[in-house]
Formats: sequence, structure tokens, C-alpha cells
Amino acid sequence: MKQLLTQLALVLVSIAAAIVLIMLGLYACGYPAHRILTLWAGGAIATRFDIAVSLKIACPLMLTGLAAGIAFRCGVINIGAEGQSLIGALAAAAFATAVAPSLPSSVAIPLALLAAILAGAAWAAIAALLDRYRGVPVVLSTILLNFIALQCVKIMLEGPTGPLKDPLTGVPQSRLLPAAYHLPLLPPATGMSSLHIGIFVALAAALIAWLIQSRTTFGFELRVTGLNPTAARLAGIPVAARQLSVMLLSGGLAGLAGAIQLLGITHILGISQPGIGYAGIAVALLGRLHPAGIILAALFFGMLDNGATNVEISRYGLPHDTADIVKGIIVLCILVGAAYISRHGIIAKER
Amino acid sequence: MLQLSNITKRFGPLTALDAVSLRLDPASVHGLLGENGAGKSTLMNILFGLLRPDSGSITIHGQPVAIRSPRIAQSLGIGMVHQHFKLVPTLTVAENFSLSLHAPLRQIKARAAVWQSQLQWQLPLDTRIDRLSVGQQQRVEIIKALLATDCGTAFPGGGPPGGSPVPQRTLIFDEPTAVLTPQETAELFAAIGRLRDGGAAIIFISHKLAEVQKICDTVTILRRGRHIHSGPAGGITPAAMTQMMVGEAVESPTLNRSSNASLGTLFPSLPPALQLSNLSAGILKNASLTLHRGEILGIAGVDGNGQSDLIQAIIGGIPITSGQLSIAGIDATRAPIRWRIDRLAYVAEDRQTQAMILPLSIRDNLLLKEYRKEPFSTLGWLRFAAWRSHSSDLIRQFDVRCNSIADAAGQLSGGNQQKMVLARELHDAAKPLVIAANPTRGLDVGATAFVMRQLLAARARGAGVLLIHNDLDELLAISDRVLVLYSGTLTDSGTGIQPVAPPSKESIGHLMLGLPPDSPSAHGAA
Repeated sequence: MKQLLTQLALVLVSIAAAIVLIMLGLYACGYPAHRILTLWAGGAIATRFDIAVSLKIACPLMLTGLAAGIAFRCGVINIGAEGQSLIGALAAAAFATAVAPSLPSSVAIPLALLAAILAGAAWAAIAALLDRYRGVPVVLSTILLNFIALQCVKIMLEGPTGPLKDPLTGVPQSRLLPAAYHLPLLPPATGMSSLHIGIFVALAAALIAWLIQSRTTFGFELRVTGLNPTAARLAGIPVAARQLSVMLLSGGLAGLAGAIQLLGITHILGISQPGIGYAGIAVALLGRLHPAGIILAALFFGMLDNGATNVEISRYGLPHDTADIVKGIIVLCILVGAAYISRHGIIAKER
Repeated sequence: MLQLSNITKRFGPLTALDAVSLRLDPASVHGLLGENGAGKSTLMNILFGLLRPDSGSITIHGQPVAIRSPRIAQSLGIGMVHQHFKLVPTLTVAENFSLSLHAPLRQIKARAAVWQSQLQWQLPLDTRIDRLSVGQQQRVEIIKALLATDCGTAFPGGGPPGGSPVPQRTLIFDEPTAVLTPQETAELFAAIGRLRDGGAAIIFISHKLAEVQKICDTVTILRRGRHIHSGPAGGITPAAMTQMMVGEAVESPTLNRSSNASLGTLFPSLPPALQLSNLSAGILKNASLTLHRGEILGIAGVDGNGQSDLIQAIIGGIPITSGQLSIAGIDATRAPIRWRIDRLAYVAEDRQTQAMILPLSIRDNLLLKEYRKEPFSTLGWLRFAAWRSHSSDLIRQFDVRCNSIADAAGQLSGGNQQKMVLARELHDAAKPLVIAANPTRGLDVGATAFVMRQLLAARARGAGVLLIHNDLDELLAISDRVLVLYSGTLTDSGTGIQPVAPPSKESIGHLMLGLPPDSPSAHGAA
């Protein structure tokens, strides 16, 4: 309970600190910071449409946040959700446009998502196996695999030989996914927000992640492994196997995120970095690695992004990147605060 | 003369020090005694500038001083020899000095040489720390502390400290003998004697009362943050010291050897709890031993001579390269850790890294090795009701003092952490084998007695107990037999099977240093 309150306080103070800092920065640059703040909040939640857009942006971040969170909690620093989600999207696109373009929707969507999960997990497995058998740190291999993943997508989409390339255009992108593969949109109350059912997939994933982590022996083993691998091994936990399986889960979630974004929003695979993988790391840290916290953190990031658009198109024309600055400051505050808490805890214990 | 007056320090609701005063005279050794949590560390951290007191004052020769940092403490001549060495293992001795003092190597070497001759030591200044024995590393720590306090004394340029009068130099030794052999301890005491004769004030923190009586001129006893007693060390008996530290009389447990039937016959129908034949693993070479049911077999030795590898080979932490291991008569040479967990209790050599998950709750820690079993989980689903009742039972049974089983285990005091580990490992009376490695490390008198009683209880109910311990007094107090581990080789100390002759601490000490047991004492250790 006390721990929960400490974490909550840490998060809220970090957010508050980031808002104060960004406002000071805006004042210093001559902007009316309080008005920008109002525009920002308004853009995020003023109408049902705004809320729906915020949710839509948050949806893939929930999944990549869960991907990072479940791995971090087990002490596996998977920085590769970006690449894993790209590979997931690639697998879904290949399945939809090349393998089975004419399936009915009820089969097509689950199969495409499954393909993405498996592909993301396989991509993550490369890093896990490199760690296991060659001692390559996961932090390094996953980040490098992000770049390789993007190159793989380019190979599939670029030039005259790109197997998935849309032949009707010179742009490196896939064909439009068949309509059966488009995720159903939520009722018209959300207007033109194109909020899709992926949000339920993300919420279900969070619920399942929470159940696994807090209610199963497997989850207990993951947690113990993350906190103290030596003690975990001496308690009979197969540490290496657990680290491998958490890597597969993490990669699968990231792959799912990539496919949800493709099937729900873009419907066409391009060669740009989606950015949801990197954002997921920040979401996981802000959510303190807890599934419920991650959902809330993703929502918050969704609102930040959505609100920033409103500020950008206002007469102040503040660049959208300001949202990224706010996110960065928040994560820095969180890290500093968490370090302070752990050190402070040690001092209090040593009386 | 250094005087701490009415020092009070609070941490939140807890008063760690309540108006404690302490007078340190030059050229004397002052023993500081107290249970864990009595406030010794807090007081020393205040003196060394790591903590600021809430009230009270410190004066040196009547001049009030404000010690805001260790650097200021050192400039005032106050040095600390830490229990856990603060050295860089991959650097040489001289480089470590240079690093911590921000001084060039050449100058450091000259100054260190002066101290070496003063203390009659010959430390190899150009050898890497990790090639040195623990005793030598401690000497490095001591010289480092002396060099750091040089600058605050009358010789700012690092000149010879040999002359008189030596200004007030105060050295704090925090449990310096915990890791030493008897011979190394004797040499340390000789060095402390020389420092005292050179005019330094020494603060000596130890749990070993016999040592305190031997080396200290005066003692101060703290209990729960209060000053209980100060006076000449010769004036009080160890029993009286214990009583003042704990607040009540504590009987230190020993094995009642007279009631002991000859070994191996107590539980004739049962196979030995543990058998090693020519077992090699890590640096351990060809180790053979038989541990009977109802026996405590002590393994003496200086840390780093194969203790870890012996333990890890038995519990399954490292692979066995050759030879055989059997637990309760079953070949376990290649058995997986999970198989062994069901048969052996392990009181880990380093509880915080091996036996506990500090941020997890006490409840979770207590279930760390049984969560997979009924009724604690069914088909992979955890059943917390069973966890709660089981862990509540255990903390009652083993007297773990905590507010709630939901608290993080890291919040427990050292003694209670160890009780928690004992509760988890020893509650199952059916386990034939108990491995206990330095089980009383860092524990106070009361908790130490508790741990030793638990090991004796395990022996009494028929478990075989392998006790790997670097506190020889405790080891000899409760072991039926003692083997010595030196440089990866097990040697029988000759303290043998019934009836046990009063075991010679010195001969074991020689074996711990790799010498023949009857070799003449090189340094007047007795």
C-alpha cells in the first residue's frame, strides 16, 4: 500500500514537474504558456471526438508499453519493441496481401494478428538466443535489430523486386489491405475519429498480463527472476528459460501492436519508423511496469500527442515535437525520482 | 581528546540515538558494543561525517567541530576502517591509495612506506588487490585510513609520523576481525597496539566479547540508542557485557558433547545425510566427507579457499567436474536444483543476494521455494490464502518481528531477515540435510544464539548439518567434528569423533593458513 502511494506520488510529481518546466520554457520563448496549456488539454479531451482520438493514439502504446513492461519486470531490457512491431506489421501485411487476401473478416483478422504475434516473438527470440548462447547483451542486440527490422521492411517494399510492393505506385509501400482485414470501427458516437476495436484487444492484453504476473506461478517466477536472478536460480527457477519466454511474450505483444496499427489505422504498410516501440518504453516506465499503470500512462501519452496537434494547428503554431519534449522530461523525472527513492530507502534502513 | 556530547539522531519516528555521549582519549582503545540497531553505526557515521546529528556536539580538545563530510572528518584526523573493504580489486595497492587520496603515486608510496615500517608490515605496493588475502586487504584499508588522516594531523606534507607528540588521530575499526583467522587477528591486535602506543585513539567495534576484553582499555555499551555503560574493559565480565547489551542474560548455545553417543550410530537405519567422494568443482579438489544424520560437521577456513564452490556444488549452483555427491543415500551428482531443494535446507552464505528478494514481501520470501507445491498453487495458479496462513505460522514459530507479512523483506533488521530465511529453510523437519554458511554473519548476540539453537535443534531431530563458518569460536561450540578447507583442499583437523578433546583453536588456525597444525606460532598468536 505504502509502495503504491510512493509510486503514485512519484508519477504525479514527475508529470507536474514536466508541466512546470515546459511552461517555464514556453514563457522564456515568449509564448503565453497558460493559454497553450488550455489549448493542449482541450485538444486532448474537450469533446467525445477528441477523447476517441486520444484513445486511438494510446492503443498501440498500451501494447508496446506492456511489451516493455513485462520484459523489464523480469530484468530483460528489451529495447526492441520498435523492430518487433515492424516485423509484426510486416507479417500481417504479407499474410493479408499475399498469403490469404480473400478470407472472411472473422477468420482473417485473428489469423493476421496471430501471424504478427508469432513474427514479433520470433524477432525477439533472435536477441534472446544471442544472449543465451553468445552472451550478447539484450539491450544492444534488440536496439540493433530495430534497424535491421526496418531494412527488412524496405527490402520487401522497395524497388521493382520488393515482393510486397504495390505495383501500381512508385512509392515504397504495400498494397491496400483487403477490406476484410480492416479492424471494425467503434460506433459513430466517436465521429470520424476512426477509433477501432483494437482498444479492446489492448485492454484484454493488459488484463491477461496482469493475471499472469500477479496470479500465476509463472508470473511469480518472472518477478523473482527480475529482482534477483541469483536467488531465483537457487530457488529452483529456470532463469534462462524464463528470460527466453518473457522475451517471446514481449516480442509477441510488440508484434501485435504493429499489426493493430496496420489493420486499424494505416491499412497500408510503409517504410517509416512507427515510433510506437520507443514510446512504449517511456510508457512502461511512467506506468511503473504495472499493467494498470501502463494503460493509464499510454492514455496520458495519447492525450499529450492529440493535444499537441491542437496546439500545432492553433495560431501559436507550436511544433508537435513539444509533446516529445514533455514525454522526455517526464521520463527523466521518473528515473531521477526512482533512484532517489531507492537510495533514500537504503539510508532509512541503515540507522 | 575527542568528545561527543548528547548526540541525538532520529529517523522518522525512530530515535536511533538518544543523548549519547562518548569520550575518546588519546593512546587508548575504546570498545563500542551493542546489539544490531543499538546505534553503533549511526554514532560512527555521525563521527565520520556521513550523518548529521539532530542535536548534540562534537569537540576536539575542547574546540567544537562540525563534521559535515568524511573529507572534513579526515582533515580532523578521524579515519574509518570499513568492515566491507572499499578497494578496487583490479588496481594495485599503491593505485588504490592514489585513487582515494588524489595524490601522485610516487608521493603515496613514500608515505605508505613510512606507515609500513611504523606498523612493521610489508605490503606489496605494486600487487593487485585481488591477489591479496583478506587479512592483507584489511591492512591496505588501514593504511589507506591512516594516509587519509595524515593530512589533518601535524604532517600535512606526508612527512614521517614517527615523532612525538602525535596530534589526535582517531581510527574507527568496524568489526575488523569478522573475516580474519586467529593468527591474522593477533597480528591486527599487535598493529592496533602500536597505533595506540603512537598516540592514536582507537574505536573498536566487535561482537566478540573476548576480543574486546583483550584489546580494549575502555568500553562503552549502547542499547536501543541509549548509553548504558562506560568504563574500564577489565572491570566487567563478558556475561555482564552481554546482559547490558541485550537487557537480559543470554546463554550462548553449545553442543552437549557428553550426551552424544558415537557418531553414525544415532540413526543407524538412515544413510548419511551427505557424502562426497573425491569431488571436484570450481577450485575444490578431491573433497571427500561423510556427514551423518544427527551430526554437525564444521568446515573452518578463511573465505575464498573453496567454501563457495563446496556449497554451490552441493546445492547445485555449479557443475561437479569429477567425483560423486550423494544426499541421503541417493546419488545427486547431476541432480537438478529443484530436486535438491526438496531434500536440503540452505542457509545462504550471503542472505541478501542468495536467499532473499529484498523488495518482495516477507510472505513471498517465505514461499520462495514452495510456491510451486500444493496447497500454495494449483495448476499454476497461486492460492494466496494458503500463503498467508503458512507465512503467518512461520513468523510466529521463528519469532520474526515484523509489522505485517506484506512488508518488504528488506525492511527487516539483519537478525530478523536471517530468522525469516531459517523459517523457510528449516520448518520442514523431513529434510535430511542442512547447509549453513556463515549463518550468524552480522547478527547480534541474541540473534546469534537463536540461529545456533536452531542448528542444534535440526541436529537433534536427525538432520545432518554442514556448518561452513568463519567464526571459529561459534564453529567449535556446536560442531561434532571440524574439517579445514584451505586452497580447495579439505583436511581433517583432528578434532575427532567422540569424545571430543577441547579443540585447539590454534591448530585449526594453522590449517586455515595452510600450515601444519603443530607449526610454531610465527607471530606470537596465542
